[in-house]
Amino acid sequence: MQRRYRTISDMKLNESALTLAFTDPALAGKLTAMGVLPGARIELVREAPFGQAYYIKVDGVRLALREEEAASILLEV
Amino acid sequence: MNEHSGKILKIALIGNPNSGKSTVFNQLTGLRQKTGNFPGVTVDMKEGRLRFPSGFEATLIDLPGTYSLYPTSSDEKIVTTVLTNPKDGFYPDALVYVADVNHLEKHLLLFTQLRDLDLPIVLALNMADTAAEAGIKVNIARLAERLGVPVVSISGRTGENIQKLLFELEKLLKISASDWTGYAPFYPFREAEKQVVDAVQLNLGVDNPYRALIIAHHFSWLPFLQKQERETVAAIVQTKDFQSLRAQVDETLDRFDRFTPIVRQTILQPSVEPATFTDHIDALLTHRWFGPLIFFGVMLLVFMAIFFGYDITGGWVESGTGAVIDLIGGTLSDNWFSSLVTKGILPGLQGVLVFVPQIALLFLLITILEEVGYMARAVFIFDKTMRRFGMNGRSIVALIGGGACAVPAIMGTRTISNWKERLITVMVTPFISCSARIPVYLVLIPVAFPDSNWWTKALIFGGMYFFGLAAALGAAAVFKKILRTSDPSYLALELPVYRMPHWKNVWLTVWEKVKAFIGGAGKIILYISIALWLLGNSGPAGALENAEKEVRAQVSADVSPDSLGDMIAAKRMEASFAGIIGKTIEPAILPLGYDWKIGIALLSSFAAREVFNGTMYTIYSLESVADMEESEAQNQRPFERYSRLRQQMTNDKFDNGKRVYTLATGVSLLIFYALAMQCMSTLAVVRRETGSWKWPLFQFVFMSGLAYLCAWIAYTVLAKV
Repeated sequence: MQRRYRTISDMKLNESALTLAFTDPALAGKLTAMGVLPGARIELVREAPFGQAYYIKVDGVRLALREEEAASILLEV
Repeated sequence: MNEHSGKILKIALIGNPNSGKSTVFNQLTGLRQKTGNFPGVTVDMKEGRLRFPSGFEATLIDLPGTYSLYPTSSDEKIVTTVLTNPKDGFYPDALVYVADVNHLEKHLLLFTQLRDLDLPIVLALNMADTAAEAGIKVNIARLAERLGVPVVSISGRTGENIQKLLFELEKLLKISASDWTGYAPFYPFREAEKQVVDAVQLNLGVDNPYRALIIAHHFSWLPFLQKQERETVAAIVQTKDFQSLRAQVDETLDRFDRFTPIVRQTILQPSVEPATFTDHIDALLTHRWFGPLIFFGVMLLVFMAIFFGYDITGGWVESGTGAVIDLIGGTLSDNWFSSLVTKGILPGLQGVLVFVPQIALLFLLITILEEVGYMARAVFIFDKTMRRFGMNGRSIVALIGGGACAVPAIMGTRTISNWKERLITVMVTPFISCSARIPVYLVLIPVAFPDSNWWTKALIFGGMYFFGLAAALGAAAVFKKILRTSDPSYLALELPVYRMPHWKNVWLTVWEKVKAFIGGAGKIILYISIALWLLGNSGPAGALENAEKEVRAQVSADVSPDSLGDMIAAKRMEASFAGIIGKTIEPAILPLGYDWKIGIALLSSFAAREVFNGTMYTIYSLESVADMEESEAQNQRPFERYSRLRQQMTNDKFDNGKRVYTLATGVSLLIFYALAMQCMSTLAVVRRETGSWKWPLFQFVFMSGLAYLCAWIAYTVLAKV
């Protein structure tokens, strides 16, 4: 069966996708307050040099997210 | 207004992180500001004086930057605590909300929340200069009308429209003082929220509905709630089955839905965003290989600048202050008072002043790194590494800042939301070699390694920093295994756009830190040098006179008056109360290779490390510089006083004729000063940040115990070589 969503770890560098929803209410509170909203376009800029974190762009704002934080954002396929 | 009520009005400055708030704060207050950074002051926030065009004054409070009233870290909690409690000492009469106009669609969430608290607000659209360059156009009048508050377009960097902001603020204060009706709610409650809000308002007597909602969300930790109030709200939340986290997210999304159209209708933004300067720089600075390499290169440059800087400036300050001491000494007649001033207080102060240029330089470089936006990248790069040691990426900021001073660095850990990560950072940051250790290292390294060349000394100096870092990470790894917590841990960090440092911000920060250093250390040193002088110049009845007689009786006639004077001074010092105290603790420190004089320096260093130098200056000047020839005193060459201290230390001998300062003693002392917890200010700030004496006491015992153990091992091993 085809998956209906994916996460940042599935993206290639410089690829972008629209956010659908969040899996974790606490993280959702934090991320939405920072402007990562459902329907926003997320671009994966790069991975952290030692891994386990991502550098993303949302509407021109640059954010650093941990793996778990990134995984809580569901993206459009 | 205040002319009538007699109380001084308070204005709070608030906004999201990276809104350029601190630049605006500095524009508004300039030098009329202070930070309660140091013990004895209970204020944690920056405060400044605001002068309106009409001449009337108010207090401006700088609140920590936050995204919303739903906080996760303790600096964000300060904002919620202050702004939802009208009885709070910092509760403002009005707010200046600073928003980055380039990203207004992200910066208005907190604004709409504060507006619903009915706090009078002026909205300052900051960074108007860069927005104009980017082709962003704002319809100010329309935005003001739609949001229902005065809006001013400003630039904290250029100072554009700052007067206009003050003008609007004063106008607002006049209205709010006479007939303040509040705002119409921006966010309409959902049914579940309405029920909870009504119950909280009724039971706690809260007049503002949104404040009641915030209390319902945060009752578990809001510090101003009474125990009974807390229980009441808990019961309400439970019976109504209020889903706090869910409601927070829904409210946030609703607010965005409401203000996003307003922003779209009033701001014209160019649609295409080109790859910017920041993207190009980040391609390098956060690069897989170059990122970490550049980071270590930058750190190396910072510490090299400090070492070379000392070589240049140390001599100037030393000869300058030396000349001042001689000048003052020359004007005083020869009595006990002049002895206290020229042989007690002034040499003690000189021992600290010599290092002020170093400390200023260190704070300058770290402030620049923060101002340009580099620190956030370091957090991103090292988050994984720091987590391996039980910390957070944000801990790297504290560890770097700890290189200057642990006190502000520890206060900066408030941005870490996880209690365990924060506590570990607080516990290990004092291991990082702070600026107060620089003076001690610079005196001790040449004493321990007298024959080594300049480069070797520089390498050992750098090695001390690595040693401190290794101790910090090692201790962190141990704490990680011991401590337990269920707190969530976050990285989620905004990476700001790179910009040139705003020099006014930089100078103000450096000035404030240096002032705090001189003030804090200066006061301690003043007291300690007075105490030392008293203890060194007095003793049990007749003891000093007897010591002098004894020397005169033993010495043969052919000894020169100079060395006779030295010997008398040494014996007197030994017979004094200071000598008695030192001798009493000598058995405890003898295993580390220290004599009673070092013992006195160690004891006084527990107030602050840099006191070591002041104490050494005072001890050795009491002992023999007292008999220095007048001509010699005037011949002050750069480093002379300083190298004389080294010379005196190097020549000093135990009673059995062995030299006190050998390689083993020197290394043992270096290790002791690198590891021991010798700073009252740090302990006081740890107490405040952790809420009890438990952690600072533990920190004191484990750091000093480790220092004793390692110094003992080093001395025992090296003494046999």
